[in-house]
Amino acid sequence: MFCIIAFIVLSIIGIFNVSYRELAKEAYECVFRRITFRPCNTGFKEKMQAKLVGKLLTKSVAAARFLNKHFELLAWLLFITTVASIFWTGKGLFNFYMYGSCNGLNKSGFCALDPKGENNKVSQTGGSCGTGEGDESKVTLKGVDLSLFPSQKTDSKDEVVLIGCYSCDYTRKAYPLVKQLISENKVNYTFAHYPVKEETLYLLPIGYCAYKQDPDKFWQLNDKLFASEKSDIAKKEFVDTILKDIGYDVEAINSCSTSPETNSAVVDRRIQLEKTSVYGTPLVFINGKGLVGPKPYRVYERILKGWRFW
Amino acid sequence: MNTHRQDFPLLRDCKVVYFDNACQTLRPKQVIEAINEYYQDYPACGGRSMHHLAAKVTHKCEEARSIISTFLHAKRKEEIVFTRNTTEGINLVAHSLGLKAGDIVIISDKEHNSNLIPWQVLRDKIGIEYKIIYSKEDNTFDLEAYKQALNNRVKLVSLGFTSNLDGVTIPANEIITLAHKAGALVLLDGAQAVPHRKIDVQDLDVDFLAFSGHKMLGPSGTGVLYGKYSLLTKLDPFMVGGDTVASSTYETHEFLPPPEKFEAGLQDYAGIIGLGAAVNYLNTIGFEFIEQQEQMLNKYITTELKTISGLKIIGPSDPKERGGICSFYIPGKDHHQIALMLDETSKIMIRSGQHCVHSWFYAHQIPGSVRASVYFYNTMNEAEVFIRELKKVVSIL
Repeated sequence: MFCIIAFIVLSIIGIFNVSYRELAKEAYECVFRRITFRPCNTGFKEKMQAKLVGKLLTKSVAAARFLNKHFELLAWLLFITTVASIFWTGKGLFNFYMYGSCNGLNKSGFCALDPKGENNKVSQTGGSCGTGEGDESKVTLKGVDLSLFPSQKTDSKDEVVLIGCYSCDYTRKAYPLVKQLISENKVNYTFAHYPVKEETLYLLPIGYCAYKQDPDKFWQLNDKLFASEKSDIAKKEFVDTILKDIGYDVEAINSCSTSPETNSAVVDRRIQLEKTSVYGTPLVFINGKGLVGPKPYRVYERILKGWRFW
Repeated sequence: MNTHRQDFPLLRDCKVVYFDNACQTLRPKQVIEAINEYYQDYPACGGRSMHHLAAKVTHKCEEARSIISTFLHAKRKEEIVFTRNTTEGINLVAHSLGLKAGDIVIISDKEHNSNLIPWQVLRDKIGIEYKIIYSKEDNTFDLEAYKQALNNRVKLVSLGFTSNLDGVTIPANEIITLAHKAGALVLLDGAQAVPHRKIDVQDLDVDFLAFSGHKMLGPSGTGVLYGKYSLLTKLDPFMVGGDTVASSTYETHEFLPPPEKFEAGLQDYAGIIGLGAAVNYLNTIGFEFIEQQEQMLNKYITTELKTISGLKIIGPSDPKERGGICSFYIPGKDHHQIALMLDETSKIMIRSGQHCVHSWFYAHQIPGSVRASVYFYNTMNEAEVFIRELKKVVSIL
């Protein structure tokens, strides 16, 4: 067993230090003999055991005695932990590539490849930004009436839904990627503003009325709101200027946004969004699969294309 | 203070404890300088070209031959044949002596493979026989068994002068006298004897004596076969070719006289010159000091080893009978592991294994041994470190 663990460890160290390559070769010979059902009679284990125990002997006689006595057992333990760590490392790499997180889709534990957890960060529905604490497994589109929200329809079966907040940093990070995704692929796209902060609450009725007045211009409004400073979009006057620049009838929109009918529609839409179990933005659904936090573009594209991605 | 240590680069800063002298000794700066001088100042062919560099090489090599001849008290320097090592010297005799089917060669049970395999090959090739003289209980030579083995079919007695297994030296004078009386020649493997004791080949009346340079401060890949001149003239050369003949035609050739006819091809001139320097150095040290130092160290090592529980020393318990060699094993403890750990903990260099005497170990069902072999440049302080560390290693195994 020692030969196998030594081969693995020495091969890795050998990448960086040439002096270990010869030892790795010796270990390989030993492993090769083992896997071909021959005894490992190269003396490699004995040599390495003596070296390791000898080195330890200069520090502590008791520790050296323990290592020498339980060498095979310790080799087994090391082998098992190495195999386990290789497995988990591989799984982590796989998850990071597939989902943007070492821990799997929407899992927010520590990931060495994304140490700050950027790919999982959300603006929580409670208002504070950070890594989402909600239950990622519960996010769903089941029972949600998407027809109530602004959408761009095609004859495609693929569907992308972005639930985000204009003032959420992480939605702002995901937004251009989602735009790239829908521009490069033929999909049905739905957008829903989910205000995680009070200052953008007023954009719900404005968005509803703007889409009602002119659905095509709504997407320009969307782009401009995501492109503007967060502090600016908190001011109604600034948004009015945008609406005007796009060519909307600002007065009509303002009038619409305060009407009881709009208020009711906005509430209806909030009810629909709550059904998704959203706990933070952005929340992107691609063909029903929910992705919480801004993922790398490859993740969005891979989930959209499925096997065609490869 | 052992002042000679300053001549050995590796020993100057006490970087290692070198107790593997039976395998190969260290080289003093005088030997290293002699070799460097050849490569830097006159790196030419000896005995062929006429220019002054070649003449100097020839002169230096012949000077080395003379030094070695004097060192062994040979009758003439032509009795000194340069070889690569002891093994080559033994093979030269084995294959040149003209042994025939039914001829007997006597060897002992402790022979190095160099003095066992050649006879096994000749047995298989031409049908010679070899008789093994088994050692006594204490691993010393059994003279009585030897006397009984001698008969008129015995053509050669080929024995290790001093055993590399346990350091035991055979009673060479009596063995040679008895062999000659029985009409047999004697070849001694002097690899472990020549570096450690004064050898007088005329006094011994030995017919052939093979030894290596690297075990006596000389360069590796150098060796000597001493042979009585009258015998050397009768031997057919083992290897032939360049420098072994006075002239040749497409059909015939005329061999040079000894030693040239045995020294085929371009020689290791640097090595030969270095070997001459090594012998010169040994002469300045003197064998009295060498033997005294070895015995002192081996006495201490043996006394201390005897205090380690279960440890068994191979050979006589009296260190005086084992020269500078102390070979031991501890049943149940791996000899290689002991050696490797001593190297790892304190850079102590010792030999472990079967020391090319596999036959003896198999016969005695011992997996191997640890062998500490000292030389004149080793010190009591080194011996103390060796014992201290050995006890520590053994305690954890």
